[in-house]
Amino acid sequence: MALKALDIYKLLPKKNCKECGDPTCLTFAMKLASGKGDIEKCPYLDDHAKSVLGASTKPPVRKIKIGVGERAFVVGEEFVQFRHEKTFYHPPGIMVSVSDTQTKPEIEQIVTNVRDYVLTRIGMDLRLNGIAIRNDSNNPEQFGTAVSYAEGCADLPVVLMAGTLAAAEAGLHECGNYRPIVHCATRENYREYCSLTKKSGAVLAIRAGTPDEMAELSTLCTEAGQDALLLDLSSRSLRQFINDSTIIRQHAITRTTPSLGYPVFYDATIPDNADAALVLGILKYGAVIVIGPPTRPSEKALLTLRQNIYTDPQKPIQMTAGLYRVGNPGKDAPVLMTVNFSLTYFTLQGYLESSRVSCYMLIVDTEGLSVLTAVAAGKLNETMVRDAIKKYGVENEVSHRTLIIPGYASPLSGRIEEETGWKVLVGPRDAAEIGEYLETEWKA
Amino acid sequence: MTLQTQNIWNGRIGTVTIGADRAHGGTRTLQYTLGGEQDLAAVGPGATQQRPLIAAEICDDPGIWSPIVNTFMGDTVNDTAGWAGTMESEYHPDIVRLHLTSTRKRNFKDFSGIPETVSGVLKSTGLPLIIEGSNDPSIDSEVYQKCGEASSGERVLLGTAEAGRYRSIAAAAMAYNHCIIAQSPIDINLAKQLNILLKEIGVPYDRILIDPYTGALGYGFEYSYSVMERIRYAALKGDQDLAMTMISAAPDSLNIREVREARDDETDRTAATWEFYTAFSAVIAGASIVCVRHPLAIPLLKSAIDSIWPHSAGREA
Ligand code: SF4
Repeated sequence: MALKALDIYKLLPKKNCKECGDPTCLTFAMKLASGKGDIEKCPYLDDHAKSVLGASTKPPVRKIKIGVGERAFVVGEEFVQFRHEKTFYHPPGIMVSVSDTQTKPEIEQIVTNVRDYVLTRIGMDLRLNGIAIRNDSNNPEQFGTAVSYAEGCADLPVVLMAGTLAAAEAGLHECGNYRPIVHCATRENYREYCSLTKKSGAVLAIRAGTPDEMAELSTLCTEAGQDALLLDLSSRSLRQFINDSTIIRQHAITRTTPSLGYPVFYDATIPDNADAALVLGILKYGAVIVIGPPTRPSEKALLTLRQNIYTDPQKPIQMTAGLYRVGNPGKDAPVLMTVNFSLTYFTLQGYLESSRVSCYMLIVDTEGLSVLTAVAAGKLNETMVRDAIKKYGVENEVSHRTLIIPGYASPLSGRIEEETGWKVLVGPRDAAEIGEYLETEWKA
Repeated sequence: MTLQTQNIWNGRIGTVTIGADRAHGGTRTLQYTLGGEQDLAAVGPGATQQRPLIAAEICDDPGIWSPIVNTFMGDTVNDTAGWAGTMESEYHPDIVRLHLTSTRKRNFKDFSGIPETVSGVLKSTGLPLIIEGSNDPSIDSEVYQKCGEASSGERVLLGTAEAGRYRSIAAAAMAYNHCIIAQSPIDINLAKQLNILLKEIGVPYDRILIDPYTGALGYGFEYSYSVMERIRYAALKGDQDLAMTMISAAPDSLNIREVREARDDETDRTAATWEFYTAFSAVIAGASIVCVRHPLAIPLLKSAIDSIWPHSAGREA
């Protein structure tokens, strides 16, 4: 079980010398207790302290870095089974597969798409992460050549789905220094794979049929000196994957089976249910997920789902109602009314900021419902708008009497005019259009 | 040693029956009993798992419906009963969810049209029904009374009760032996509160489904996903006031920018994919009924759900 900060503190040298990067030994102890510190940073620990702390302060799911350079990513370092318990930290890497039986242009086309495709949502650039190269030819030389094609057109993290030791070697010859994932070692050949991957600093995916066998195999690998591991249970069905992955996550975070404390590898290229497998990989603790080249709709949906699930759930869902300023609004600045659903607020605020028009946002309390839902459910009405204008002193802030309401609130426009005496302008339905709208429509 | 999951549960999801076949006084070709689960969705031995159901949503006034669906279905959307029948015969959902969008018009008065619409749909499909009434408190009482009466004996699921607006719908459900959807705005405590309110006015828990409200993927879905997980968790930990089956529908899915602005030749595929990602995630979070509007989302969901729940345990012979 995890140690408390004070228990850890007792084992530290108490020099408060700051060499660990923390101001005091106690703050360093607190960091270790939360699983986010690294005991190696204190140079003065004795062997006893090291052995006690080493096992119990590591994050329960080991942190592993994949690839090098700009597109490298980190997986693992997770602490909870449900995101509402805290948050999920490191979104899974999505690796798009190519086959070594494909031609050079075919491979390059897929790799280029993974390299260049970006989906920008709420201020974040979302990307696919890397390439998985499959050894379908059963020919190490051809496999190595396919790896070189992929490497030739992008510095992306790769998975060598080598299948045989000879192919893995041929692949590593092309990309060994770039921290690829080698897939995969089993009980029969783990020694060879461990020494091969250790030499080049590659990450090793290991495969076993059940969580029990996986726990044994991972122990054998760490004994053989390789602890940059990913666990692939090669689940036969979607249901099997949910169960296996849940077992691994629970045994890891409770530290009851520390040898399962590694990120999960999931090959989601399941015929007929590829999207379903991918959704499960994202929801149920997949850390590196291999997929076929996605269709454009799937590409967008999967990146959005991943962003949603890996958003910190402690971010409040409701804003406090009130009058908010964007920029430095003056007496003639526009006033935009909307609801207190935080996602609506942040989306609109983002677009307003980028439009560079200083303005006021009048946030009405709709119990956190979106505009569409609030209007449909009667949670947004003319009296609420009237009361909000009074309560937040909008009439003292601006000299005009014009209110811009969201497009989805247009059914209320007449009633708001009657109730407030303000002139109502119906804005766009989509916050993305607000900049252009203000430019063309707004006159105080 | 065989490693198992470690959650310790002492609760169980309550059961609810939707639809009434001839043996139970209705005219449906089948009926479903949902609930009874004692673990997380798809976790643990298969015997305790009910297969989640797919509801196809239709409406009686396509003027306020997704233009993407209207275009895809063509003229069918102008014939509500025909639409219901087409959904059943061509796309094979488990349930049809009829939205009486005609009641959303200002100064709606055509109350006598409601029974006609409802009985038309009951004739054209043998599937159990969900009926969504008005969302204007001033006409609720009459609308729900008509819905309830027109589907009497069919044990439909009536939607949607909310805090502050549940009496008319509860009265109709009790009078005509139906079930109801209780919706709260993405908040576990409000969900619980509403169930207690409903119990106090005499609605038994085996007639209630929880709708925790589902935001569209990319537009608040993460909150809904976690609230569903928390409700399922609380129920399995023994909280009786949250131990109902859940229904999830993301009504904004087809209105969001990503779907509206998809390339023309990709519109339908994008709509279906977006609904699939949302609904399938809801199933994994614990929803027992998921609702979609684009017909092409149905086969995607069916294939995924059938692969996890190969038996059709939700059905009663
Ligand atoms: S380096 Fe070690 S001794 Fe120095 S402050 Fe940090 S924990 Fe204390």
